[in-house]
Amino acid sequence: MKNVKILFAAMLLLVAATTAQAQITKAELTATGLTCSMCSKATYKQLVSIPEVEKVETDLNKTAFVLYFKQGTNVNVGSLKKKVEDAGFSVGQLIVTMKVDNQKAENNTSFTQNNISYTFMNSTPKLLSGEVKVKIMDKGFVTDKEYKQLVKLAKQYPTYREATANAYHIKTL
Amino acid sequence: MFTEPASNMPSKSFGIRDMNSVMFEKDGKINYHNMPELMWGINKKWMVHLQGFVSNRQEGGLEAEGGSLYAKYRFLSKDDLQSHFRMAAYARYSLNRADIHQQEIETMGHNTGYELGFIATQLLHKVAISSSVSYERALDNMPDYKFPSTESNSAVNYTLSVGKLILPKTYTSFTQTNMNFMIEMLGQRLNSNGKSYLDIAPSVQFIFNSQARVDFGYRQQLYSTLSRTAPNGFVLKFEYTFFNVFK
Repeated sequence: MKNVKILFAAMLLLVAATTAQAQITKAELTATGLTCSMCSKATYKQLVSIPEVEKVETDLNKTAFVLYFKQGTNVNVGSLKKKVEDAGFSVGQLIVTMKVDNQKAENNTSFTQNNISYTFMNSTPKLLSGEVKVKIMDKGFVTDKEYKQLVKLAKQYPTYREATANAYHIKTL
Repeated sequence: MFTEPASNMPSKSFGIRDMNSVMFEKDGKINYHNMPELMWGINKKWMVHLQGFVSNRQEGGLEAEGGSLYAKYRFLSKDDLQSHFRMAAYARYSLNRADIHQQEIETMGHNTGYELGFIATQLLHKVAISSSVSYERALDNMPDYKFPSTESNSAVNYTLSVGKLILPKTYTSFTQTNMNFMIEMLGQRLNSNGKSYLDIAPSVQFIFNSQARVDFGYRQQLYSTLSRTAPNGFVLKFEYTFFNVFK
């Protein structure tokens, strides 16, 4: 009986360890291609329609938005980009706040969170724990100007050009 | 006010618009046109409008004269912080049953026909500059009025507009009223005989609650070598956008 209890406890621990998820809690997004408040309102309306979003704060003068996500949800940053583009604009910068658990930040290494992989690039090697801010570096999440510069680093970061809907490149801040 | 920018409405939004023009004929008679419009933002690249034409030109008060279908396709968009360069292609097909009484071709409210064109818009902080070029072709105003064979049934149009966001100087909320000034230059040249006109149209736009819009402008002919019934007058336009109407 004692062995069963130990086995059960061990199983629980194993389940707990694998479900101790990293999570995106906040996003700071700068939209491009717009100036006026009607355009910002269109963007705001698209962003609040994302199911994982709890609240959106808008800086009308910087055309920037801070998004707070609901507890326990796991947003794919691709949906933020799609909503901004549906409003008629583009993402110029996206910085997300993630909860991570002893994650080593090393260029060209990646970790997966809810079937989405994040690969480090342009990052200073360090050990990440708790809430960290990372910048999404992929095409469509940076300005065209910045993307042209980043693409020149393709040799250093061979997976950069192949970013998909479930694989992003991030830089620690 | 008389021209569309290269940008589209947000995806899945729906808009209503009503344009009232009070134009003056040479004998002082007033030409009143009302054009209600329904607009759909299908996706980030496509939008479609349905417009109706009502005027007082016929004897006996206001009459519905026709309508049009308009589509715009944004094919280029280069965005940067508080700036963009965009290009779009558009097409309009109109039906109108009123009589044809001028050489000017106008598928928005006067002629049955179609228009095909391109628009380019550059936004830089608070200033937007747009230009368009189009081909316009008049057909018979069925059922009673054939397009006169002695007249040019097609034209090239060209426009240039500059608009500036005047107020507010700094934003504090979505509910602040925005005010824009705009000046448009609108020209047409008839293809068969080279006759042309050029108009200037200054206007002011107010945007309320970042969702409702009122435009007030005046259109003035600068010169014309073709006959036009009532080129000068005032225009008042109302517009409201509903966001996220469709799934």
